Amino acid sequence: MEFDDIKQLLDLVEKHDLAELEVERDGLKLRIRKAGREVTFVPAPVAPPPPAAPAIALAGGPAPVAAPAAAASDAESVDLAVIKSPIVGTFYRSSEPSAPAFVEVGDVVKKGQVLCIIEAMKLMNEIESDRDGEIAAIYVENGKPVQFGDRLFAVKVS
Amino acid sequence: MTTERLPPDLAAAIARSADALGPFARLRHVAETDSTNDIALALAAGGEPEGTGVIADVQRQGRGRRGREWFSPPEAGVYLSVIVRPRGESTGWALLTLGIGVAAARAIRAQSGLPVELKWPNDLVIGRPWRKLGGVLCETSGARGGVDAVVVGLGVNLLRAAYPPELAERATSIETELGRPIDRALLVAALLVEMRAIVERLHAGEREHVRAAWRAFASGGLAGAPVSWQDQGRERRGRAEDIDVDGALLVRSDGRVERVIAGDVLWD
Repeated sequence: MEFDDIKQLLDLVEKHDLAELEVERDGLKLRIRKAGREVTFVPAPVAPPPPAAPAIALAGGPAPVAAPAAAASDAESVDLAVIKSPIVGTFYRSSEPSAPAFVEVGDVVKKGQVLCIIEAMKLMNEIESDRDGEIAAIYVENGKPVQFGDRLFAVKVS
Repeated sequence: MTTERLPPDLAAAIARSADALGPFARLRHVAETDSTNDIALALAAGGEPEGTGVIADVQRQGRGRRGREWFSPPEAGVYLSVIVRPRGESTGWALLTLGIGVAAARAIRAQSGLPVELKWPNDLVIGRPWRKLGGVLCETSGARGGVDAVVVGLGVNLLRAAYPPELAERATSIETELGRPIDRALLVAALLVEMRAIVERLHAGEREHVRAAWRAFASGGLAGAPVSWQDQGRERRGRAEDIDVDGALLVRSDGRVERVIAGDVLWD
């Protein structure tokens, strides 16, 4: 886990007004807790409440975060899948400059739906969502360069 | 996917080159379509193998980079898309789009004798200042880099009618340059043979072959040629020097060498 990863997690906490976030990855466990807040999850407006843990599990991470038993009863979980750039290139949010964006934050997307295009050497790579869900965050501005592994979207898994 | 029988001259040209074409002989024909790339993307998603191609007489919505229209009137050009399935180390395939430019330039030179050149990454150009004779648009789709198919779209202007007269300073055709048309069927067969040859080189990991061949067609725009490009909305200027191992254009600008990997680069 690098500084940028931690910054992304902090951004998530801020964006979704989370009280606490705990992530375990590569043997490192990180807990972010806002001062003066109870450890309760702020329910997301759209996602239905699955019965599981009061934590955000970054999809693809090796270990989902174990839920503190005390908090489990009145908590909800939201799984955020982060879609990363598979290549180096230029990020485009629409098929052409005059076209509307493929997706906006809050849009419900289906697996296989095109989220963006990344161009490299005049190869237009359509990047698709790999799951059904709701766009929770768009990390990159239109027309900006992206590196391999850069975060592009967070999808709130439905 | 509804496709039609190949026109007799095209079927004959493909049959004569069957050995050299191998799987690239799997060519389908449609009289009219929005875009041959769209059909090929659908065929690729359906599992069609590498080499499967689609050719159209007319494209209603032929496209270039970032939504630009590729003017595609009836039988005035070659409108062709072919499926390529990269194998092995994916980074080696960054050169695919440049390699397709090489293949097209080779085929056009062989069939017409015209001194066609390449403008990074793969525009087919001729003359001074460069006029565009053809272009390549490659597209792929996938979720997480598991790219298993790239659709290579190729447009070549055969007849004067292939481009609007108001673009005559920037566009041209084989007929315009040569003073006569050439045989479309023979050109298509040659394009497919050369595309297969380049793709086989990439399968074999022969990236240096592709880079050297590309440089040979693009030398007029390298070696310090002045260029400009858009960098996140800002115009930059510099001198094009070479391409790197991935096919990125290396431009010296403000005392540094920049890698340009996307967008339009304009030669002065």
